[in-house]
Amino acid sequence: MRSDLLIDRRTCLRGFGAALGLPLLETMGWADFPNGGTAKPPVRLGFMYMPHGVIPEQFWPADPTTFLASPPPILESLRPVLDQCLVVKGISGVPIAPLNGAPHALELSTWLTAALPDVNRRDVVNIAISADQIAANYIGAFTALPSLELATMPQTHKENQEGLNEAYYSHCSYRSPTQPLPAETNPRSVFKRLFQTRDQDSAAGKRGASIDADALDRSMLDLVLGGAKDLRGKLSRGDQHKLDEYLDGVRALERRIAAMEFRRLEAAKEASGGAGPKRNPNDSPPIEVRIPDGEKRSEYMQVMCDLTVLAFQTDTTRVSTYIGSTPNGVSYPELGFNDEHHSQTHHNNKPVMVDKVAKINAFNVAQFAYMVKRLYSLREGEGTLLDNCIMMWGTGLEDGNKHSRENLPFVIAGRGGGALRTGRYLPNSKGNQGDLLGTILTAAGIPLDRPIGIATKLLTEMISA
Amino acid sequence: MKKLAIRRRDLFRAGFLLACSLAWPAPPAWGSEGDNDPDAELAAARTAALKTYKDRVAPFINTYCIRCHGEQKKKAGVTFEYAVKTPASSTFRPLWKKAVTNINSHDMPPAKEAKQPTDQERRVLADWVAGMKYLSPKDPGEFVIRRLSKIEYGNTLHDLFGVDPAIAGELPDEVLGAGYTNSVSPLLMEKCLTVANEVLSRVLAPAGARPTAVELRLFGNPPSQEKDCEPAARRIARSLARSAYRRPPSDAEIDVLMRVFTLAKGSGRSYPEALRLVLKAVLVSPQFLFITPEDDADLSKDIVPLGDHQLASRLSYLLWATTPDAELSALADAGTLHDPAVLAAQARRLLSDPRSRALFDGFGAQWLGLDKLAGKTFDPGKFPLMTPAMRTSMYEEAHLLFESILHENRSLRTFIDCDYSFLNETLAPLYGLEKSVIGPAMRKVSLGDDNRGGILALPGILAMTSYPNRTSPVNRGVWVLEQVLGEHVPPPPANVPSLEKQDPHKVATLTLRQRTEMHRSDPTCASCHKVLDPIGFGLENFDAIGRWRDQDDTGGAIDASGELPGNRRFSSPKELKRIIASRLDDLCRTLASKLLAYALCRQLDGYDEIVVDQLAAAVAKDEYRLQTLVVAVVTSYPFTHRRVNEQKGTSHAK
Repeated sequence: MRSDLLIDRRTCLRGFGAALGLPLLETMGWADFPNGGTAKPPVRLGFMYMPHGVIPEQFWPADPTTFLASPPPILESLRPVLDQCLVVKGISGVPIAPLNGAPHALELSTWLTAALPDVNRRDVVNIAISADQIAANYIGAFTALPSLELATMPQTHKENQEGLNEAYYSHCSYRSPTQPLPAETNPRSVFKRLFQTRDQDSAAGKRGASIDADALDRSMLDLVLGGAKDLRGKLSRGDQHKLDEYLDGVRALERRIAAMEFRRLEAAKEASGGAGPKRNPNDSPPIEVRIPDGEKRSEYMQVMCDLTVLAFQTDTTRVSTYIGSTPNGVSYPELGFNDEHHSQTHHNNKPVMVDKVAKINAFNVAQFAYMVKRLYSLREGEGTLLDNCIMMWGTGLEDGNKHSRENLPFVIAGRGGGALRTGRYLPNSKGNQGDLLGTILTAAGIPLDRPIGIATKLLTEMISA
Repeated sequence: MKKLAIRRRDLFRAGFLLACSLAWPAPPAWGSEGDNDPDAELAAARTAALKTYKDRVAPFINTYCIRCHGEQKKKAGVTFEYAVKTPASSTFRPLWKKAVTNINSHDMPPAKEAKQPTDQERRVLADWVAGMKYLSPKDPGEFVIRRLSKIEYGNTLHDLFGVDPAIAGELPDEVLGAGYTNSVSPLLMEKCLTVANEVLSRVLAPAGARPTAVELRLFGNPPSQEKDCEPAARRIARSLARSAYRRPPSDAEIDVLMRVFTLAKGSGRSYPEALRLVLKAVLVSPQFLFITPEDDADLSKDIVPLGDHQLASRLSYLLWATTPDAELSALADAGTLHDPAVLAAQARRLLSDPRSRALFDGFGAQWLGLDKLAGKTFDPGKFPLMTPAMRTSMYEEAHLLFESILHENRSLRTFIDCDYSFLNETLAPLYGLEKSVIGPAMRKVSLGDDNRGGILALPGILAMTSYPNRTSPVNRGVWVLEQVLGEHVPPPPANVPSLEKQDPHKVATLTLRQRTEMHRSDPTCASCHKVLDPIGFGLENFDAIGRWRDQDDTGGAIDASGELPGNRRFSSPKELKRIIASRLDDLCRTLASKLLAYALCRQLDGYDEIVVDQLAAAVAKDEYRLQTLVVAVVTSYPFTHRRVNEQKGTSHAK
């Protein structure tokens, strides 16, 4: 897997050592109130995943009272921002029977759905809309991208445990029960996607012309959509359902073009002095993103984190999911060993292997900590950008050695605009994965019309009084 | 293969208990006799299976199982409630198979239950489950219009417009064949629009410039009179849509494109610019992104034959991963492609074309497990030879072997016992042929060593089934069982008892073979490992990257001897290969079912099992030739038909 990734990156990075240039800086900001009112910044939601569980003894804090002063080894990198975090223990995963033979496909695919795939039709994807997509359906409507899906490795894992569809091994975001969302692995394409719609037409240089071209594209897509609906009427029921995914995709594309068009128009207005800047002058300027020249996994993951931060900061999206790695054989030569992650998790308490797993855990948490610290370093509104975020880090098993799912490890950073009370270790939360996701979405102000997966309640102890 | 690499390591390290027993040899394939009407025979078999179900099986379940495994208790999450109502449903096949395993091993019903079935009752149930496929009515299986994969999309753009297929590089990567995630996301649509823009800017001239050659081919010269523009645009739209939609477009579809033309003209665009937008519309239309059926299918029926154009696409995308060429399209236009003789001839024509390399890259590499070789980790200190060039050469070696068997229409047996391979100077050291094989070009080499040759001894596969720093007899055994002989090696149970009590220092001093043999001392493990470990031992003369060796890492002599069930002894790779080659029918069936699943882009199910029987029988009759297998698959009932309405009575009510 790893060298696939590196080849891919080398091609994309060639001649691209410098910082990525941000177009239209001035107009990017969260200002919902155009005329300088003091709007409350929107809440952003981020999810970051690591497979295969942790070494529980080195992950869970010893004691809620000493937690901030002496964090456990795996959480060490979070020390400077631990008061901005909640560590939640006692969250159980979805029971996976009767699919017991597929713990690794399910650790990822149940992570944000809190639901089990349809056991009776397991060869096709049929699970549940995931929490990030529930959020995207609500708060995604305000931004150019409803949500951003990122991954470190291509989602091409071929495996067929318990007869489950291959997509379950490498996807955690589901736009509908049958629609796994692909994630982007190339930082340069992510950047392009966030801030540019077209290459060639804008290369012509005329801003006005490209707005015009956008409008024309949207009208063209409208006509194509009309034609697709005609086609739909002539198809069988199953085919119609498939075509609906296409219709949904085209509609999302139209919305995105419209949002970008709007951004360009605003920029043009601003450039001609017709409108003042949208940004709050006290807010930090957009961060600079540099694509590294090296081949280190940490640097690669950090640029993905940077892109998430930038997307949040510029309010290009409010929902982001980053699969730090999929459960299919990553190795971490950067840590001084070549063993695949999964192979070490079945350590049977052999100290050498336990140590390697703990290092891999700490490495992944450190990338999350990098992102959290970056969010924390940026001013927004009355506080920091992190204040307006809820960033969830987690993994789909508690202990990879035993495949246990009783206490799934979660770290939640950011206060979600004040909804969460951070700086605490909650040692006994007595909830499940669905409860946790539901609580996070509720804290972000997203109304839920039904429980997420197996959820039965809100975890009120997480929420500020 | 990744699964196995991970799984087997689990087994080895933790000593998982496998509650399974592998069949050896497999039961004989059905369908060797075909004088009578096969459909009538199947109907008779179906009637008999239904009768056994009613008289023997349903009473068995109701007597011994349903009290705990009914809707009320659902012990261990298992319920027969739905399975007994729809015995023909393939949904519950795994449940039935698991039930037989547990009932045969006397794990079920639990010993504490007073009511116990007799051995004869247990046998009746097992026999019935073994023949469950006969319950399935003739059915081509689930069919849903399929989106072009990333690779197919790139190749199609290349064939239509001459652009580099890598233009599709930014589309999300995906799994091919069975397991293909046939779905559309907003990201995908964005990328399709981006790629469409990129195609236009590469092949069409900028506004006002002289038209390019491709532009002239697609659009012709612009009419001199304004009044001729619209009729000309309509003709062009029709021809663009015919090639991009891979079938004649309907008038309504042309009208949509003409609306796009009018839209562009109305926005002040010139004639060529308006055509440019029409072409962009074609490239983001569902008719281009999906293989869509012709207009005229009779949707009142449950099952219809594929239209000729849809069939042409299905065939072309399977064998070439690209759009049908002129000859295929002409046959589809003429309405003759569905004729089995014509279809078979076209399949052979496509296979003989270099583009059929797509079948190896898509199917062959996946079957052999080589699709992940480029990214597999090896200990660079121990195996400095595993360079990117070596990985590419290993992949090419397998590709050329597959291609030689395909193009020369050889027997599947060649996969096991061929005496040649394809080498270059990169691979030569693995064979000890560095003196005679010089230069980077791959060439056919006669090996003159029966231990080498064939997929069991192919360096790429031997490397894929090894760990980063050593061989894995277990992985290799599982690979042979699953990929060559078609046995299913079940995953270990969830509650894994670990070997923590075992003294790690003691284990560390044992040789690899001794260590591997340890988990066979447990009878539960042994049921699988007594078959899969010996196969791996038989290949221990090949190191983790496929070099011959006489000593293993500990310096001990390699013991490549073993015994397989049925007193089949061997003492070298050569002899092991001979035993495996004698199970040609199993290889044939395995390959037939894998290729059928790949061709249908779905897992096999229900009636497909009967189709696989028929494929295997047809291929056996023609000396197990590979082309014959491919032709049998593309002319098979599920490949040439589609279900347009949901199957009645067998789907699980939700």
